[in-house]
Amino acid sequence: MSTTHLLIELVLMPLVAFVVGLAMLLMLRKIGARLQRRVGPPLLQPLFDVIKLYSKRTQVSHGLLHEAGIVVAVGAYVAIETLVPVPGMNGIAEKGGLILLSYLMMVPSLGLALGVGQCANPNGSIGLSRAMTAMLAYDIPFMLVVFGVAWQFQTTNLVELVAVQQAGGIATWGIVENPLLAIAGLFGLQAMLGKQPFEIYVAPAEIATGPMVEMGGKFLGGLFVMQSFQFYTAGVLYTTMFLGGGENWFTFLIKIFVVVAIPLSVAFMFPRYRTEDMVRLVWKWPVILALLGLVVAVQ
Amino acid sequence: MSVLDQLLVFAFMTGAVASFIGDRRFAGTLLAILYFGQFLLLVKLAPLGYGAQPVVSAWQPALFGEVLVWRMDALGWYFALITVVAGWLVTWYASGEWGQGYRERGGNLGLMHTAVAANVVAMLLLLSSGNLLSLFVGWELVSWAGFLLMVMNGRESGGVSGPAGLRYITYATLGAMALLAALAIAHHASGSFEYIDLIDAVDQMTGPTRVSLVIAFALAFTIKMGLLPFHLWQAPAYAYSPGPGGAFLGAISSRVGLWGLAMVFGSLIGIGRIAGIELIPGWFDLRDVFMWVAALTIVLPTFTALRQNDARLLLAWHGIGQGGYMLLGLAAGDALGTGGGLMHVLNHASYQAPLFLAVFAVMHRTGTSDLNRLGGLVARMPLTFLVMLIGIIGLAGLPPMNGFVSKYLVYISLLRQGEPLLFILAVIGTLGTVLSVFKLLHNTFLGQLRVEHMEVREAPWSMLIPMLLMASVVVVTGTAPGLVLDWVASAQAALGLPVLDHTLGGAAGLDMLWVSGVLVYGFAVGTLLFLSGNKSRRVHQFDNYAGGHFLTAENQYQYSDQFYAGLMHHIGGWYRASFTWAESVVIASVDAMSAAANGFFRRTQAVFLLLLATLGSVAWLLWGVGS
Amino acid sequence: MNAIVLPVVLPLLAAFLLPSLARIWSSAARVLGPVLMLVSLCVLWTTWGEHPTPFVVALGGFQPPMGIAFHVDSVAMLFAFLVAGGALLMWPAWTDDDTMPRLAALTLLLVAAATGLALSGDLFNVYVFYELLSVASFGLVSARRTGAAFAAGFRYLVISGFGSVLALLGIALIYLRTGTLNIAHLGQLAPESLADPFGLAAFALLLLGFGVKAELFPVNTWVPEVYAGSSARVAGLLAGVVSKLAVLVVVRMLVVVFPHDETRMLLLILGVVGVLSGELAAWSAKDMRRMLAFSSIGQLGMIFIAFSIPGEAGWVAGLALVLHHLVVKSGLFLIADRWGGALQSLTGAARVSPFTAGLFVLFALSLIGVPPLPGFWAKLQLVIGLVENGNGVYLGALLVFLAATVIEANYLFRLAVAMYAEGASSTVTAPSGGNRIGAAIFAAVLVAAVFLLNPLSEAIDDLAVVGNDATGYMDSLAGGAR
Repeated sequence: MSTTHLLIELVLMPLVAFVVGLAMLLMLRKIGARLQRRVGPPLLQPLFDVIKLYSKRTQVSHGLLHEAGIVVAVGAYVAIETLVPVPGMNGIAEKGGLILLSYLMMVPSLGLALGVGQCANPNGSIGLSRAMTAMLAYDIPFMLVVFGVAWQFQTTNLVELVAVQQAGGIATWGIVENPLLAIAGLFGLQAMLGKQPFEIYVAPAEIATGPMVEMGGKFLGGLFVMQSFQFYTAGVLYTTMFLGGGENWFTFLIKIFVVVAIPLSVAFMFPRYRTEDMVRLVWKWPVILALLGLVVAVQ
Repeated sequence: MSVLDQLLVFAFMTGAVASFIGDRRFAGTLLAILYFGQFLLLVKLAPLGYGAQPVVSAWQPALFGEVLVWRMDALGWYFALITVVAGWLVTWYASGEWGQGYRERGGNLGLMHTAVAANVVAMLLLLSSGNLLSLFVGWELVSWAGFLLMVMNGRESGGVSGPAGLRYITYATLGAMALLAALAIAHHASGSFEYIDLIDAVDQMTGPTRVSLVIAFALAFTIKMGLLPFHLWQAPAYAYSPGPGGAFLGAISSRVGLWGLAMVFGSLIGIGRIAGIELIPGWFDLRDVFMWVAALTIVLPTFTALRQNDARLLLAWHGIGQGGYMLLGLAAGDALGTGGGLMHVLNHASYQAPLFLAVFAVMHRTGTSDLNRLGGLVARMPLTFLVMLIGIIGLAGLPPMNGFVSKYLVYISLLRQGEPLLFILAVIGTLGTVLSVFKLLHNTFLGQLRVEHMEVREAPWSMLIPMLLMASVVVVTGTAPGLVLDWVASAQAALGLPVLDHTLGGAAGLDMLWVSGVLVYGFAVGTLLFLSGNKSRRVHQFDNYAGGHFLTAENQYQYSDQFYAGLMHHIGGWYRASFTWAESVVIASVDAMSAAANGFFRRTQAVFLLLLATLGSVAWLLWGVGS
Repeated sequence: MNAIVLPVVLPLLAAFLLPSLARIWSSAARVLGPVLMLVSLCVLWTTWGEHPTPFVVALGGFQPPMGIAFHVDSVAMLFAFLVAGGALLMWPAWTDDDTMPRLAALTLLLVAAATGLALSGDLFNVYVFYELLSVASFGLVSARRTGAAFAAGFRYLVISGFGSVLALLGIALIYLRTGTLNIAHLGQLAPESLADPFGLAAFALLLLGFGVKAELFPVNTWVPEVYAGSSARVAGLLAGVVSKLAVLVVVRMLVVVFPHDETRMLLLILGVVGVLSGELAAWSAKDMRRMLAFSSIGQLGMIFIAFSIPGEAGWVAGLALVLHHLVVKSGLFLIADRWGGALQSLTGAARVSPFTAGLFVLFALSLIGVPPLPGFWAKLQLVIGLVENGNGVYLGALLVFLAATVIEANYLFRLAVAMYAEGASSTVTAPSGGNRIGAAIFAAVLVAAVFLLNPLSEAIDDLAVVGNDATGYMDSLAGGAR
């Protein structure tokens, strides 16, 4: 692959991610609206929201780290997008892999946490402590799933993962080969996206939206962008692990939208759980499913 | 005189200088220069790190027919490099304002410098030991030099360091005695103390002999590393050492245990033979024991760290947990695992030392390491914050710092060997670490700045430069892990382990050059995006959303105590202090036996007892001969 | 006659003359003892140079096995040397008051008897010197004239008396069987006449009888009270020097007359129990004297374990431990002269006398066996010796020994850490100049030994060959006496 080609991919991959991610945000709001029998926002509403936030007159910063935190949160996702293969573009996916990605996805959260911390608002800190706890909770089943998939396909390389599943057809997709792992992975996805019932860290009435409490203007806009990346990344990662990746952009987009739509729909059916209940929930069913899936994988 | 001799003599000289003029004002600087000299001599030995033959010392004293041999190989050189650099930078750190402050608080700076130098000498002697006898000599020297450093801080620690040191030395003596037993078994089996003879003799050993040899070695080395269940001594002993000393100990001192295990797993006995000792045939062998001990050592101490409210104890507990990763990798036995385990030694030293130093810099300025009495210091000590930030990312093992690379190798090794449970334990350890170190960072540097810290200044350069140098190691070797993996591969070769196939960017499908590169690229994009927004305005920390309250200096607006209250609601009941309980049971039983022994000596009817004993002895002899 | 008898005869004579001399010229009386020790040292030194050892000295002109003989080999010389040297350094009678003559006379008596024990080649002689030693030590122990000293002395007297009876019974049994008490001669006769239950019973009686002074379990219950009640120098002499002479007697009998597995095993087991009971008791001792006393029981147990190892390895380990313990424990008891009280009173003592505290740490390190200090090399020999013997009981002894060392490290450094505790003020005063110098000399010996390990190890190897050479001992009889 030529250097130019690679450079183009490095620019294109985050850009695509951004656009698709915004569309996913739109989808989230549409699903919510449909469930409540509303029409929902127009097509470009998420984009307008971002632009509005970035161009607001009042932009309150609590210090350099507050700003740097947002930069890291967004920037790390930009980097992450170059590490997940999409149809036609592998970027530098072969330099990393499943495990690297699992850990790299903590970096944006860390950036956000730094920024929130500098805001010096206890509501934000409480939100962080809850978000961290949630991460500890859902990463355990998620990493079990990662292990299972890597063991099943004998590789952690995402490109190879996709290649194996596409070569063998649907019968070799992760979801067919090991549905238990796929279900457990879906659970993890739900928690990772921070939607109900895993939403205690926001809790608007209790801690005034937690991490977001001191965020406004382009800071909130940054979080918005970060969330769009997050949806996209989660969708792609799950698709890569269980749904054979993308043969072409058409099927690929369908897959990732469906993947993300499931947790988003589920979210609207749940209240938010208390932290300890959330931990208990995640450490019970997903872990059991993942362990059973592992037994199947190792067989 | 070989370069090794020069190095040892130079290290001794450094110690002598420290003990004579250690309390002078210029001593720290002079000593830092001397350590740098040691470092240069190690650089002269650098070919060892790239596969050169071991360097032998010319000095080989013979006693009771046994010879003491010193010989440095790639493994020893690798550890020695970490040791000397750690010694150099912590001494530099202590050379300026910190040392001044320590002396003013009544600390014995000269003794601290001497103790650090003694530790370095002892470590060098140990790491270059060429047979079992010199290994034992070095081992004991390291133990006792560490003890000196731990107990000398009585004033500063409020008298806590003494009992902590005593607990340490009791455990250390237990380890030393186990090592002595191993020496004896080896001598019995091979007729000498030479490594080569032992290696030859291992095959001829009977099963029980081999098992007891492995157990004796393992006991000695695991106690030193603070692996479960012998970990209780470590955290308080390291936390209450004088600042730079504690940083040195935390960085490298206990890793000699890993060095020893590497020798056992590598050359002396061999991981294959250890795996061949089956406890439940076909299901569980001795190697699995090591791996499970390592995995539990990762998890339990890490979650103990999560509950600490003193920054020093928190870090020290993490130090124990990180040892688990090293052993886990080493016991995995393949090129990836052992490579990751060995690399983690350097990585751990490179972030643990600056983390300790950053905590002590905060203590130097604010007088406390209590995580509930700090906060918001990032505005006052931004560089110290940066050091701690890099350090905690390394400690937590997140990319792009070096801690991730070594852990990655261990993960992949476990993955390839199909060990999901060990893998998930290792991951749980990492997640717990993330939580815990974020609390450390948050409670120290983030949130509201306290009123009494409004005037706090950044740490002086004499403290910052060494910290920044160490932190830069974390970044550089995280980006280009191949620099370290070269040395690790040589060490593996020296041990007779499979050698890790690697590039400058990493190994096993990981290329950190690219990963770091795209991260920089991502951050650049993120910055551009951020700057594209409207210009922001800085506000005071009291200018905050407080739900209708007015924020003033009197109004504490910080969240730090019981940081993970929700989590603790759930897992708090799992902390049972079982090891502390077990330790107290051992102590109580020794106490009871001691009381019994005392009672024997207090008996008034001594003669009656004597008569009984006489009759008993005579009867025993007669019976013995008769049968 | 031979000059070698002088170290026995001169102190004996002086002991009787000294009270009278003290009345006439007290300062001469005060230095008489130490001077004699110096003379003894010179005599021993020259004799060692002149004679190819071993040789036999017949006292009164009667040839052995009929007459009473001294058996002089390098091991005996070494122990005689240690007696004189130890007594010189630990001389307890420097006092200015009226107890001086009595103390000096008793010490001289003790020295004469101890030297006699080292040199005797005949059981009757051994018994006589042993009784003399007992008498002298009773006097020394109760010399302080306090209630505790008398009580301890009485206890000592009772146990010691019982031990003497046992020893005498053992000697009687042996004489009954063989009609001789010359050890070399016994050695020749033993295979036919003493290698049976009868002979072994005699050995057990001897072991327990002489074991009283050697702090052998279980006849050592006098030790803590006596060392706590008597003056530190007397305690040092008893623990450091006298105990080793009793060990020598027992080990000589073991090697020359009773070289059986059963006898070794008895020694080993009693040694193991001694190590355990001593170190455990020391762990919870409340004052330094008792702590040192219990520790010395433990160390003597280790010495017994060492000598129970067959062959030269046992002797090497045993001799090394003997020498090491003599130096270290004597030094520690000198420190304990003023610091011997409750351990709590020593908290912060390092500030009272940093030098003394430093010496304590040095001795403690060597006692635990931290390389490169001599204690390590001694213990290493023991450990290797135990494993070389491979069988179960020896390995069990090894485990006990290792565990005991951990306990030892704990209680010794519990005290050391307390000594250096910050912010505490100790009530003790610095040890007297004489004691500090004495302890410093022992410390210097210890440190010098580190640098002289090589020649020392060779010397000990040679000594071990001699000590273990039972036939050599017996053959010396054939060579005739001088």
